[in-house]
Amino acid sequence: MSNVRQISVFVENKPGKLAEAMKLLKSSKINIRALALADTKDFGILRIIVNDTEKTVDILKDASYAVTVTEVVAISIPDSAGQLSRVLDILGENGVNLEYLYAFIGKSDRSVSFVLRVDDNNSAADALTDAGIIQLTENDIAEM
Amino acid sequence: MERYWNEEIECASREDMKKLQDERLVAQVKHVYENVKYYRDLMDEKGVKPEDIKSTEDLHKLPFLSKADLREAYPYGLLAKPLSDCVRIHATSGTTGKRVVAFYTQNDVDMWEDCVARAITAAGGTEDDVVQVAYGYGLFTGGMGIHGGSHKRGCLTLPMSSGNTERQIQFMRDLGATILCCTPSYAAYIGETLHDMGLTPDDIQLKAGIFGAEPWTEEMRRSIEKSLGIKAFDIYGLTESSGPGVAFECSEQTGMHINEDNFIPEIIDPETGEVLPEGEVGELVFTSITKEAFPLLRYRTRDLCVLSRKKCSCGRTLIKMAKPMGRSDDMMIIRGVNVFPSQIETVLIEQGYSPNYLIEVDRVNNTDTLDISVEMNPDQFSDKVKDMQKQERDLAEAIKAMLGINPKVHLVSPKSITRSEGKAVRVIDKRNLHD
Ligand SMILES: [Zn+2]
Repeated sequence: MSNVRQISVFVENKPGKLAEAMKLLKSSKINIRALALADTKDFGILRIIVNDTEKTVDILKDASYAVTVTEVVAISIPDSAGQLSRVLDILGENGVNLEYLYAFIGKSDRSVSFVLRVDDNNSAADALTDAGIIQLTENDIAEM
Repeated sequence: MERYWNEEIECASREDMKKLQDERLVAQVKHVYENVKYYRDLMDEKGVKPEDIKSTEDLHKLPFLSKADLREAYPYGLLAKPLSDCVRIHATSGTTGKRVVAFYTQNDVDMWEDCVARAITAAGGTEDDVVQVAYGYGLFTGGMGIHGGSHKRGCLTLPMSSGNTERQIQFMRDLGATILCCTPSYAAYIGETLHDMGLTPDDIQLKAGIFGAEPWTEEMRRSIEKSLGIKAFDIYGLTESSGPGVAFECSEQTGMHINEDNFIPEIIDPETGEVLPEGEVGELVFTSITKEAFPLLRYRTRDLCVLSRKKCSCGRTLIKMAKPMGRSDDMMIIRGVNVFPSQIETVLIEQGYSPNYLIEVDRVNNTDTLDISVEMNPDQFSDKVKDMQKQERDLAEAIKAMLGINPKVHLVSPKSITRSEGKAVRVIDKRNLHD
């Protein structure tokens, strides 16, 4: 099993709040490998994958941020048409519900990486492995 | 076993208490009429003479005093003793209009401290206790009032004043404080800080807290009791009638016994001024029957509550007042509905949120809007947007069920709403700005 830990951070949807969180991470020498922001009128949820999950969680919690760590699946697929929809089909066929996904910069020009937040990591991982789709470990991502 | 500071008074028969009140009231009315021109004019205007007041049954004949009178008479207009007989001044923060300035003779201070000593005793305080006073010291009556009562009770008194919360906790631990006295919002903050420091109630020796000076809910009480591992007692008072200690809670925690040997309470209809029977909700009115320097007769507190003479399990016979539902000044009328911040606080705590919140009322296109910022609960944080939106919706629903009007709930970051070391500011009413 190679689930990847994603840190989610509650950020108020007010000017400067997101920048404040990013500045804190930067000044703590945290390396952000993948990042996405989902927001509503009042608040946003910042989702990140970093090179040192424990340290990042400690830093954020010390600064009174609400933080939660969830396991997600990270994949690397060829950067060509139809590849992502194939992944979604595989998940759907195996009864795995996708909550959300986001792309991040992968290793090479010819591939793209995605973070998949699903309701059942094990089933997703098995289905993707069976279909020959490359899954990334936390180490893989840290070394990118 | 229940302990009393002054058993003879606190457990007096109704008959004896009334006799004492009658005597004191008659003498007090005479004292005020002779020495306070402002009140003498009010009485003359109403056609009431001191001789007309023969017992507490005649109390209703006297004119009321309101906050407006206090402003009008500022600063010396209600003083009943020469300044040379006075030893102390306290004042309200005066956020609205002029501040209220109250004067005390040594007897007034002694009476006040005696009332506070009763409160500390009712909360279980003895000479073996260490009382940490985290109310502000200064013009505000909280710090000095509790301080004096703690001395009188013979407790070891820690005059911390408010603020510097980590140091409060350090002293609390190092010196083994057993009773904490401050505003309820500051007690909640101290509890929160204790946990943030990685400590639990087992790391402190507190057993009780005496909290007052602002309205607080039963839910807030339970939450503070849990976070500090104590039994929390309410205390009531106002600068106009000396300070904290006018009424205090006993072990039953079902309302506060009024020190009616010094303060006669009445409940009136705030609209008509008519005295209401026991058990009805109305505005609380106090008559000070022992104060010398600043003796207010029939002072309208603007606090809405209920009085009860139901027998109390603690053995005290002093009449009880329920926790005030809030000052009539705190009441907001939103879309025609009466709303108290305490109602919103009740829902928040019931739903597992922090009692730190901010209510903003405004008027947009002639319709009142109610926005409530609430600190999200970090334990309930989910990475899924829809989960968080559901929390906002659920909370809005629960508040609507309580108030009957739809609020907008905004989840904000944990600890982002300013913590109060004294009286908390919970409401911003922007409608006044448009008038
Ligand atoms: Zn009692």
